[in-house]
Amino acid sequence: MRLDGVRKEYGETAALDGVSLEIRRGEAVAVMGPSGCGKSTLLNMIAGLDRPSSGEVTVHGERLDLMNETRLALFRRHHLGMIFQFFNLLDDLSALDNVALAAQLTGTSAATARRRALELFDELGIAGRRDVYPAALSGGERQRVAVARALMNRPALLLADEPTGALDSKAGEQVMDLLIDLNQIGQTLLIVTHDERLAHRCAGRLVELADGRIARESALDRV
Amino acid sequence: MTAVWAAARAAVRRRRLQTFVIGLVALLCTATVVVSLALLDATSAPFDRAFAEQRGAHAVASYDPAAVTAEQLTAPAGVAAAAGPFPQVTFEAKDGAGPLSGPLTVVGRTDPGGPVDRLDVWRGRWATAPGEIVLNHPPDEDGFGLGPLGQTTSISSGDVTLTVVGWAFTVSGSADGWVTPEQARALEPSGLQMLYRFDGDVPTRAAIDQRMAGVTAGLPGDALLATQPYLVIKEEAAETAGVYLPFLGTFGVLGLLVAVIIVVNVVSGAVVSGFRHIGVLKSIGFTPRQVVAVYLTMVTVPATVGAMLGTVLGVVGANPLLVDTFRGMGFGEDAGVRPWVWSAGLLGVPAVVLLAAFLPARRAHRLSAAAAISAGSMPRRGRGLRVQRTLGGTRLPRSVSLGLGLPFARPARTALTMASLLLGVVTVTFATGLSDSILRVAALEAETGGQVGVRILSPDPAVPDAVTERTPAEVETLLRGLPGAETVAVAVTRQYSLLGDSEPVPVSFAREEVATLGYEDQLLEGRWTAGPDEVVATAELLNWRGLEVGDTMRLELGAERMTVTIVGSTVMGLPGPGGGVFAQWRELPGAAPSDYYYMVELTDGVDPAGFVASVRQADPGLAPWNNTGGDELTVIVTGFSTVLALLLAAVAAVGVLNTVALNVREQRRDLGMLKSIGMTPRQVMTMLVSSMVAIGVIGGLVGIPVGMITHRLVVPMAAEAAKVTLPGSVMRVWDPATLTLLVLSGVLIAVLGALLPARSAARLPIARVLHNE
Repeated sequence: MRLDGVRKEYGETAALDGVSLEIRRGEAVAVMGPSGCGKSTLLNMIAGLDRPSSGEVTVHGERLDLMNETRLALFRRHHLGMIFQFFNLLDDLSALDNVALAAQLTGTSAATARRRALELFDELGIAGRRDVYPAALSGGERQRVAVARALMNRPALLLADEPTGALDSKAGEQVMDLLIDLNQIGQTLLIVTHDERLAHRCAGRLVELADGRIARESALDRV
Repeated sequence: MTAVWAAARAAVRRRRLQTFVIGLVALLCTATVVVSLALLDATSAPFDRAFAEQRGAHAVASYDPAAVTAEQLTAPAGVAAAAGPFPQVTFEAKDGAGPLSGPLTVVGRTDPGGPVDRLDVWRGRWATAPGEIVLNHPPDEDGFGLGPLGQTTSISSGDVTLTVVGWAFTVSGSADGWVTPEQARALEPSGLQMLYRFDGDVPTRAAIDQRMAGVTAGLPGDALLATQPYLVIKEEAAETAGVYLPFLGTFGVLGLLVAVIIVVNVVSGAVVSGFRHIGVLKSIGFTPRQVVAVYLTMVTVPATVGAMLGTVLGVVGANPLLVDTFRGMGFGEDAGVRPWVWSAGLLGVPAVVLLAAFLPARRAHRLSAAAAISAGSMPRRGRGLRVQRTLGGTRLPRSVSLGLGLPFARPARTALTMASLLLGVVTVTFATGLSDSILRVAALEAETGGQVGVRILSPDPAVPDAVTERTPAEVETLLRGLPGAETVAVAVTRQYSLLGDSEPVPVSFAREEVATLGYEDQLLEGRWTAGPDEVVATAELLNWRGLEVGDTMRLELGAERMTVTIVGSTVMGLPGPGGGVFAQWRELPGAAPSDYYYMVELTDGVDPAGFVASVRQADPGLAPWNNTGGDELTVIVTGFSTVLALLLAAVAAVGVLNTVALNVREQRRDLGMLKSIGMTPRQVMTMLVSSMVAIGVIGGLVGIPVGMITHRLVVPMAAEAAKVTLPGSVMRVWDPATLTLLVLSGVLIAVLGALLPARSAARLPIARVLHNE
């Protein structure tokens, strides 16, 4: 994943101001910074959820800044996985169907999608909660379901936006362990967080943003 | 500015789409309500208004001049107003008056005004000298409805000829024509006419009889010859309006139902979707009452603006239709939209909006601030979960299966949307069937009597050149010789008295060719005539007179008497009022040239209008006309059907638009998430449109049979009012192609309504949606 001189303006305010960044396959990178520094905007650019005002965004060898909405959607579907602070699960679908949904959007049959989802549920330790609806899951369980959904299509890059922000400490620890495990088996990770502990446990590199620019980059020794 | 007004104004500005939808729905619904109420009101109001404006006579009484003097009649007791006595004669119009031939009631009056029965002289002037007459006919400025009657310039009886100097209309039906009192006295009056208006209501014949008993109390017992209560005319008017009543009433009721359902759905949805906002307002210090006031203001402002525009739109739309409909009956000027309908539009729809908003707002009133905020943002307890799970396991594309499950999340909203869609489909189905039936009736008419009709103009002293010098036989030869004429059929129509019935019967002595011009093909019952003592009657005549095929009739014309047997009945008769009977051709030496009616069937490809022009050119003394144009009923009913069906379909589509817009608003987070995991804009649109297509299909499948049943019930009611018998073919309007198209109409309404909000959902900026959460 590579950003070259990415700038994003909202009116007269620059949320990102010439950011260049590269993440190699298998890396785990944490992005930190104070509120309003551009962390979420950076994540949106990499996920193709928003377009840069100028600069290039290349993920998995493809220029996202040149794609239309449909191609962006297809790209996200096949190459990106996303985890949100507030999980963003569909209330009307069971945990299993929430996860299977990501594969079904690609045209995979319901049976195959559910089989693959069950494998993930086993791997993430939530097999017993597959038929439960989101409203009845704990925060940690919801985030695990969200992680399973993100992994459903075997993404090249997993993007996590404050993945422990809405969890108690115990559930947060479980999610951190999960992310570490994923990175150790080769999953590329980009984590946007306020939580230094999360960054230091899960990431091998830290990117610090301030006023829309990269203030500092440093290697981390994982705790 | 109060805090309530400030918050409401801000909410209106912030929710532009919702404000626009409420305003648009209020506009369309108000227009529908106004048109619907105007239609329902029109079924009785025009006569009442015309009667009030003319100060119509509750009773038209005829007295015997030999038994009572004019002085005895001048100061009647127990009446609010009286006019008369006017000399009254029965004028036997002869020769050339066309539809006016036969006995006419002519009254001598000095002027058309007076305390009772103020006549509307709508063409020409009042009769001011002997030898002049004013004829009675509903106003018809362009003269189209008068037909050959409009060319009548004089009428005669014996050696008396009266020149037609004007046309007037009496809603009381007091006379067929008016002359000066001197002229009437010169014609040896057989009666003295008195016109009475009574105080208060006289709604029944018994009430009128009772009042008349008071009026005639001091008069000789045999003085009163006859009394015609106004109810006779009112019932006649109601019979004519009765043809329209089933159509208008059906559309009116459907329109009202759709309007109320849509308003309730839109407004309650707006309030429910605003619960979070309500909670925030409470948390910053708004009292529950103030919060409710904010919400009521927020929905009432656009609704009031929409209602005002909708009222104007409804009145502008309904007025010309109503005036056109009732013009032929003489009440065109009185058929406009009445003030109470205006008021219902201006006040009724905002009131329904207020009520619809008040019920959910009361819930917000009761909720604590925290609970209200939660109601708008917390994860919903899943609804229709089993359906979602089942759909998720099907082979349908996931965007489609997700869409099909969406309606189950909001069952009440779905039910209201489906109800409005269903009624929309019912309206479209009914309108389609009705128009088709009416067009089939028009086709039956077109199939009979040839494409061109020709009559011989009556002698007219004002236009001497317009009288043909040809004999009827020569006219027939002329028509046969014109290029394009394939068949020329002739009939002579004369008015015979039917023994035991005051109304004459038109008897058309028809050549053999007449039967071949569609009349024999349209036999409803029996067979065509085979002898001189047999007749074929129109179903209209049989229904009016209570006769049946197989009955005999004793007919008289002067000294001529004949007894005929009805051997068959047809749908259509020759042009003219009341239908008539067909008899075999025979020479009628006493027949006037204007009694002859020629029907011309043209060879394929010949333009009827061109043939009419060539007839006029060949002999200006002939009156040819094109028989192929649609009649007034066809135009009015198909016009009403189309306008109402389109209007209600548009209202139903706006209801769908509102439902999808509310769903999108409530599910922004879900939509953002779905897009973030790879749902394409097209899939988003597919999902949202699918959510309404299912409702459209169900609405179509349920609405079509309801519409068909409505058609099955309503069209015969109108036929019964018109006293006609419809052949089965008129009701068999449904075929698989039509039904398929009607199912698609439900889907089309749903898709058209869903497209706009679905498109905006497909363009939702994901980053902003997810960030806001």
